[in-house]
Amino acid sequence: MTIVSAAPRMEAEVLVIGSGAGGATTAAVLAEAGLDVLVVEEGEWIAQGSIVPFSLEQMDRQYRAGGVTVALGLPSIAYTEGRCAGGGTEINSGLYRRPPADVIDRWTRDFQIADLDYDEVLTIAGEVEEALDVGTVPGPPTAPSDVLRRGAERLGWQHGEIPRWMKYTNGGSGVRQSMTRTYLPRAMTAGARIATGCRIDSLDMAGGSARSAATTLPDGRRGTIRFRDVFVCGGAIQSPALLQRSRIDGPIGRSLAVHPTVKLAARFADEVNVPDDVAVHQVKEFAPELSFGGSASQPGLVALALSDQWATFSKAITDWRRISLYYAAITSEGRGRVRTIRGVRDPIVTYGLTRRDRALLGSGLARLGLLMLEAGADEVYPSFRGAPIVRTPADLATMNRSFSAGKASVMTVHLCSTIPMGQDMTRCGADSFGRVHGTDNVWVNDASLLPTAPGVNPQGTVMAFAIRNARRFAAKEHRRG
Amino acid sequence: MVSVPPPSSFAGFGCRQLGRIVAPFADVLLSADFPDLPSDRRAEVVRFIERRAATVPSFTRFGVTVIGALYRMLMAAPGGDRIVCALAAMPIPVVGDYPRLVRSLGYAYIWDRWPDTTSTGGRP
Repeated sequence: MTIVSAAPRMEAEVLVIGSGAGGATTAAVLAEAGLDVLVVEEGEWIAQGSIVPFSLEQMDRQYRAGGVTVALGLPSIAYTEGRCAGGGTEINSGLYRRPPADVIDRWTRDFQIADLDYDEVLTIAGEVEEALDVGTVPGPPTAPSDVLRRGAERLGWQHGEIPRWMKYTNGGSGVRQSMTRTYLPRAMTAGARIATGCRIDSLDMAGGSARSAATTLPDGRRGTIRFRDVFVCGGAIQSPALLQRSRIDGPIGRSLAVHPTVKLAARFADEVNVPDDVAVHQVKEFAPELSFGGSASQPGLVALALSDQWATFSKAITDWRRISLYYAAITSEGRGRVRTIRGVRDPIVTYGLTRRDRALLGSGLARLGLLMLEAGADEVYPSFRGAPIVRTPADLATMNRSFSAGKASVMTVHLCSTIPMGQDMTRCGADSFGRVHGTDNVWVNDASLLPTAPGVNPQGTVMAFAIRNARRFAAKEHRRG
Repeated sequence: MVSVPPPSSFAGFGCRQLGRIVAPFADVLLSADFPDLPSDRRAEVVRFIERRAATVPSFTRFGVTVIGALYRMLMAAPGGDRIVCALAAMPIPVVGDYPRLVRSLGYAYIWDRWPDTTSTGGRP
């Protein structure tokens, strides 16, 4: 392992900014190709499994701004970003979906992505699945998963277990195969260095070339990193923000896409709460427009879900062991923006839901409520101000009448599309392999490149694209000699 | 060569003021929502809210400071605590997001830290 202290003056052939699903895979591919790679990560290296998943401590130590980040709008949409070695892979649900063929096909056509071979993407996806031990849970489903399965079967809705990157022991407990356990060690074994606690403030540009990066070190000192090429892999919010702070123009940060979600809490006769894990079943009857799944259900998060209508929901909190949280996620037609203002440290993020999005969130919540009742829920507590307690299907009609997206706690975890890839210069911030248009040596290789929200958990797609692009870069370097 | 200056001290905008604004408001809100929450626990929750509020991104911090200052002024008026609690219960766009943020942090902390707390904040 080569975790280095960030120094005021550093150098590398290739600088990789960010160490999540995009950055870690990029670093591994390039280091294994013999390039001198330095990964810079703003957060700390925290060993996977050393913090209780989905706890406030995890939010404090591994989330940006302690998890209190929001896309402004009516309603505002709460989102989370990882800020630690491994990025979002350390804190997400670990659910894996292959890149969907129809989505890739649409991206290729609509955004003019050159040389995008779906068979190549699938081959890479297969490698990722092997590297991350992607598989299903051995043995019976957990109680929150079984709720989704049971409800969907009673309604005749399509459902299934979503595999995830988890290595299971004989006892059945699993260890998440996040980037700090897989691609980052691989990169370091091949010679890559990683400096943690170091923020990249901007890239110093000369014409279309970046020659160095201005940094802030853990102790507050300023520094510089010189490089030949740079891969920006800070995620869909931080990557466009860095390019904007570096005065790089183009369609950057103008097309943020997310999967907005609304939630509810459901109380059952038996104990269903698994505080440190999430359900692995998803209901896909109405996909891709609408998907249902399970959310993290730590007691603190249960209280949070009930807090919108605390006056009538509060008594349920003492029963949190019999409560689990579920979400309805939509593919949104709305778009958001990431903007930076000179002298201001953090970007401002905005997102606007369309009328169709708002209606879909409402119908999604109603259908999710029905799913819970069919699964045997005694009571359902939808997360919006003025929501009624739902005990019967008739109550769902009342709920539907009182719902509006503006009163709901809308959240998202899947952020993408702020620097879409492709040859359509009017819409794409980067070319078909991630090089930022108008630059010689600035590459983006993370969720920002996905032209739209893919409608499924996106990490598998992000990793497959990042590996494809990094291999292309390495091959060109090899030819250059 | 285009050289971009590093982010200025705006990063620390309102950090000192924020504590003075958020803490009393959180205390009033939690006292009303959880009458049985022991004072030592309430103080711990308020400290957490204060700490977390200080780490929110620049623009959110700016908004929290401005809206929080308005609530703080209301609290200084006679019967201010009651007015503030009544206002915090109303779904006012943007302005209502501030009590919502404070509440969400407080509620999450209470049940993360003491999962068997009753709905009024008491010990089981």
